[in-house]
Amino acid sequence: MLTLILVIFLGGAILTWLGRKINPLLGDLLFLVSVILPATMFVMNIKVGDTIAQHTLLGIDLVWGLSPLAHLFSLVVVGLGVMLSIYSISYMRGKEKVGMYYFSFILSIMAMLGILVSRDWISFFIFWEIMTWSSYLMVILNGKKVQSIGIKYFVFSALGAYSMLMALVIINSQLGSFMLSDTFNNFQHLSPANQILIPVLLLVAFGVKSAVMPLHIWAPDAYSNSPMGYTAVFSGALSKMGVYGLVLVIISMTTQLPAGSLIRIIVAWLGGFTAAAATLWAITQDDGKKLLAWSSIGQLGYIVTGVAIGTPLAMLAAMFLVVVHALFKGSLFMAVGAIEKQTGTTDFKEVNGLIRKMPVTFISSLLSIIALAGIPPLAGFVSKWMLYEALIQNHNYLLVVLLFFASTAAFLYAYKFLHGYFLGQEEPEWAHVKEAPMSMTIPMLLLALTTFVLGTWPQLLFNSIDSAMQYLGYDATNGKLWTDSVLFSQWGDKVALQPVLYAIIAVFLFFAIFLYFKGRKATRYVTTKDISTSGEIPKEWENLTFKVNFMQPFERAIEPFLKRQIEKYYLGFGKGMEALFDFTRRIYTGNGQTYAIYAIVFLALLLIFRVSLFG
Amino acid sequence: MDNTYYDLLTYVVYGSAILVMLIGLYAVLVKKSLLKIVIGLSIVDSGLNLLIVSLGYLKNGTAPIFSKGFFELAADKPMVDPLLQALVLTAIVIGFGVTAVALSLVIRLWRHHHTLYIDEIKNLKW
Amino acid sequence: MVGTPVLFIAIPLLAAFLIPLLGMIWKESVRIVPGLVLMYLMVLAVSLMGHVAHNGPIIEIIAGWAPPIGINLVFNAFTGFLVTLIIFMGLLVWLYSYRFKSNVEYEPARKYFILLMMLVTGSTGVVLTGDIFNLFVFIEITSISAYALTAFYTGRDSAEASFKYVMMGSLASTMLLIAIMLIYSQLGTLNMADVASKIHLMDPTLKAISFILFVVALGVEAEIFPLNGWAPDAYAEAPGPVGAAFAGIVVKAMLYALIRFTYTIFDLSGAFNLLIIIGLLTLVIAEVAAIRQDKLKRMLAYSSIGQMGLVMVAFGIGTREGVFAALFIMLNHAIIKPLLFFSGSYLVYHSKKKYISDIDGMGKLAPFTSLLFALGAFAIVGLPPFAGFWSKLSFLVAAADNDMVLIIALILAVSIVEIVYYMRVVNRIFFFKRTTGLLARRPTFNAYIVMSVLGIIVLMIGFFPDTVTGYIQAAADSLFDKTQYIHSVLTASIQ
Repeated sequence: MLTLILVIFLGGAILTWLGRKINPLLGDLLFLVSVILPATMFVMNIKVGDTIAQHTLLGIDLVWGLSPLAHLFSLVVVGLGVMLSIYSISYMRGKEKVGMYYFSFILSIMAMLGILVSRDWISFFIFWEIMTWSSYLMVILNGKKVQSIGIKYFVFSALGAYSMLMALVIINSQLGSFMLSDTFNNFQHLSPANQILIPVLLLVAFGVKSAVMPLHIWAPDAYSNSPMGYTAVFSGALSKMGVYGLVLVIISMTTQLPAGSLIRIIVAWLGGFTAAAATLWAITQDDGKKLLAWSSIGQLGYIVTGVAIGTPLAMLAAMFLVVVHALFKGSLFMAVGAIEKQTGTTDFKEVNGLIRKMPVTFISSLLSIIALAGIPPLAGFVSKWMLYEALIQNHNYLLVVLLFFASTAAFLYAYKFLHGYFLGQEEPEWAHVKEAPMSMTIPMLLLALTTFVLGTWPQLLFNSIDSAMQYLGYDATNGKLWTDSVLFSQWGDKVALQPVLYAIIAVFLFFAIFLYFKGRKATRYVTTKDISTSGEIPKEWENLTFKVNFMQPFERAIEPFLKRQIEKYYLGFGKGMEALFDFTRRIYTGNGQTYAIYAIVFLALLLIFRVSLFG
Repeated sequence: MDNTYYDLLTYVVYGSAILVMLIGLYAVLVKKSLLKIVIGLSIVDSGLNLLIVSLGYLKNGTAPIFSKGFFELAADKPMVDPLLQALVLTAIVIGFGVTAVALSLVIRLWRHHHTLYIDEIKNLKW
Repeated sequence: MVGTPVLFIAIPLLAAFLIPLLGMIWKESVRIVPGLVLMYLMVLAVSLMGHVAHNGPIIEIIAGWAPPIGINLVFNAFTGFLVTLIIFMGLLVWLYSYRFKSNVEYEPARKYFILLMMLVTGSTGVVLTGDIFNLFVFIEITSISAYALTAFYTGRDSAEASFKYVMMGSLASTMLLIAIMLIYSQLGTLNMADVASKIHLMDPTLKAISFILFVVALGVEAEIFPLNGWAPDAYAEAPGPVGAAFAGIVVKAMLYALIRFTYTIFDLSGAFNLLIIIGLLTLVIAEVAAIRQDKLKRMLAYSSIGQMGLVMVAFGIGTREGVFAALFIMLNHAIIKPLLFFSGSYLVYHSKKKYISDIDGMGKLAPFTSLLFALGAFAIVGLPPFAGFWSKLSFLVAAADNDMVLIIALILAVSIVEIVYYMRVVNRIFFFKRTTGLLARRPTFNAYIVMSVLGIIVLMIGFFPDTVTGYIQAAADSLFDKTQYIHSVLTASIQ
């Protein structure tokens, strides 16, 4: 069954690509079918169990099955995948290379599900690589900066993938098995050096995908360069595969190590730094897509910290954030995509005042932004609270300060995002803009509403997370792990937060209604150029939206920090290597005689070192 | 012939064959003209062929041919190794083929570059 | 049985001589006869492989002299595997170049196909023969036809490339002959099996020297590092199918000879380390040089050299798994590199200088060719689920089993370099705007078939690697089993 599902995905990808060549409409239809049909089959038929399908290739057993942890992640993948496939149809209409987009989209969904069902390292790696190159095709799909951004993405992915490959062949040579379970159960049988080497290699591998500093530099460019319909998958689901791997490594390997706690603290701090730095970067962005890309990296930083700390509460928080982040970030990326589709740009300085033109987009963005910033009624709050609580319980006060700083600073970009697109004066330039089509707004709104639901009734999700964590080996002392949190234990596990919540919603609704009725009366909408009262007549080309240099003082304050980009060092390294390579290839002088001399010298060298070679 | 004289002769033959090879190698590695390089390659081949033939020589040996008068005249003498001579024949033919190809290439290069100076013929490099 | 192994050598050689005569009667026969010959040989190879799988190796004795005196041919699982591969590649090269250029006239076509037949003769001879001097002769036949094929186009700098090749090849053949003579003067035999059984009698110093001479001599043809200066030039200047034939046929045969000497004939323990060292050097230098190339075929050539280095490292591991991995890489390389050469030479067909930048935006103009090129690129860098992944995996597993952690790390680092330059080209094909006005050349019908067949094989090995691993395993076992080789040859009698 599982094999069949993956085959349907694969065949669907190829058929869609071919169908698109014949007729665009046929391609769209095939695309929807080949995402939704196998996704439904997956959700309906694949139950948590140990072995569901098994194949043998090259004498290696490829074993597929669904663990509770993978089940949690697979829900994210399937949910986002289906929503975005619907969204993509409208989003990609009229663009170039739609066939390739569909192809890569389906393949990456397949690959992610494949990673999750893999119970052995080889199929894990195969799907991991398929995910890499299919997402790579997406990153370079628009043909902009292909050689810099695309190659950067692929090099980092390859770095990660090859670290993983190296780790897994070492595992195989030491333990004689590629199975994940054997690796974790027999971890103690590895030699002490390998016990350090393998987790570190795997951490690099998964750290790349989950964009942990200093392996993150591919991420902002890759996220913002891929088509919007896919960026949501990228940030919501694909990066979570890195988190999935991190969970496996940290919980199943480093806990068995004496030096494991050190590794975990280092990873936790890296996560914290990622969160803080990425937040600062997000604030300085003038492009919604880039802002969200940096924000995704920041959120992944929280998740990584939570996973690395690894106490039940921290894990809960991280897992909760994994799901919720996929939801709200998916919704936000979709919103930006809708704006891009309707206006043709994602620059804050150009677009403003869309609140009346794209109300549904606004509402879903608002809900998602609230969740993102971690304001109580919505889901982001729960996870952040629990993360802080876990860190304080663990006496990591400095890390709390760092994360708290990051999450406070996140308000700045959250506000910038909302204000940038939806508020401010209405320019005549955007008068024609209409709300995006239903197939774009509905998935967006659905995701945002789900965030709302999960924020209000988090135990809906916690049950699932709970079983995933018990699978990982956490003991639930009093039935449910999440009751450890003050959030629930103090107010009872019925989440007595709800009255507070309803009160907030009521106030919110009241204001909304008030504004609505007030707004119906004569409100004069002015454009930015309408400042003749101040005695100056602005030129046509002057950009007077006040989002120009919106965060100028702040940017000045953090300027010394921004100067220290890790990327520069990587670029310097890359340039140096290329120069070295260029120098090296000059060995081939082009002169036949030189080559003959090489041959004679080589012969002479071998003859001289004959004794040391052959004894 | 006494044995020491024979040994000395063997070494002289071997030595001069190797010397011929080294001369050829010198031409290949140092001379700048394509033609001289080809000649050098050919000289290396010849030196090697000399060496191989001399390897098969036996003291008081006779030609490895079962001819008409063999059993009357030379039945008590050892035959020199016939295999090496056969090999050298093959090697000479091959060397001839290579030289022919090389020379035809030299002609092509002359037409293309109007020079036979090897340092100037390096359009293909790196 | 439809024939005996000697036909692999006799028939193409005969065909090479008959082609000009037949051409006098009917011009088209010049193109058709090689194909018929190769098809027959393919049938023969497959049926003999089946025979070998059931009845053990076939030792054919030439001219009625039993080994170790006479010359014998050995067709076992290992040599059979390589012969099948060579004939198959020959067939594809023939099909592809059947009308490679529509303007290829009768005269050049005749030369081309004669030389191709000679190339096949020489390469199969190298693989099949059980006699060292005979090996030398076949190596020379292969080389001379390769020299001529390199210089096939008169318009380009092909003569220069060919001259470099001749220089190196000629020096190499001298060294080879010296090494053969050293062995003969010591052991008095030239039969491989006989030499192998007596090699322990040889003076250790002379043994090492002759092995070194063999390594250097065969290294020139097998493109190992300081000896491969000719290779990129020859690949780049030869016609596209000839480049493919070099990668798929010539290098394979030469590498076979090197491996036969290392594994079967000599018993030097340090030989494996030497293979690893020169393999790594070759790999690193070649990949590093490839990343800075601006011409497509030169880049492919360097990549091909790098792959040969990888194969040598795999052979240098010295275990059965290592040999398996090496043969697997060889097989994959023999399939993927011709695919790249075939499709690549159509992508730069109209470009004068064959710059990589001339293929910008080719994906729109020549979608099928571009797609196959991308498939080949993905496969050769070892991305799953394509063919190259499995060979790379089996190599890494074999290396890890021998605790070569640093070597694994180095090879993976080099793989990243490889990914960079291949992806740069793929990016240019599909995601760049067309900058030059050059049009795409439509592949001929034959070329379509050849490229599709190769593409399908790449996918097939990628998804079902077990379809080929049985043969590779048998080949690896057969190479590894030295005593069985010696025994089966030396006890062979005239049937």
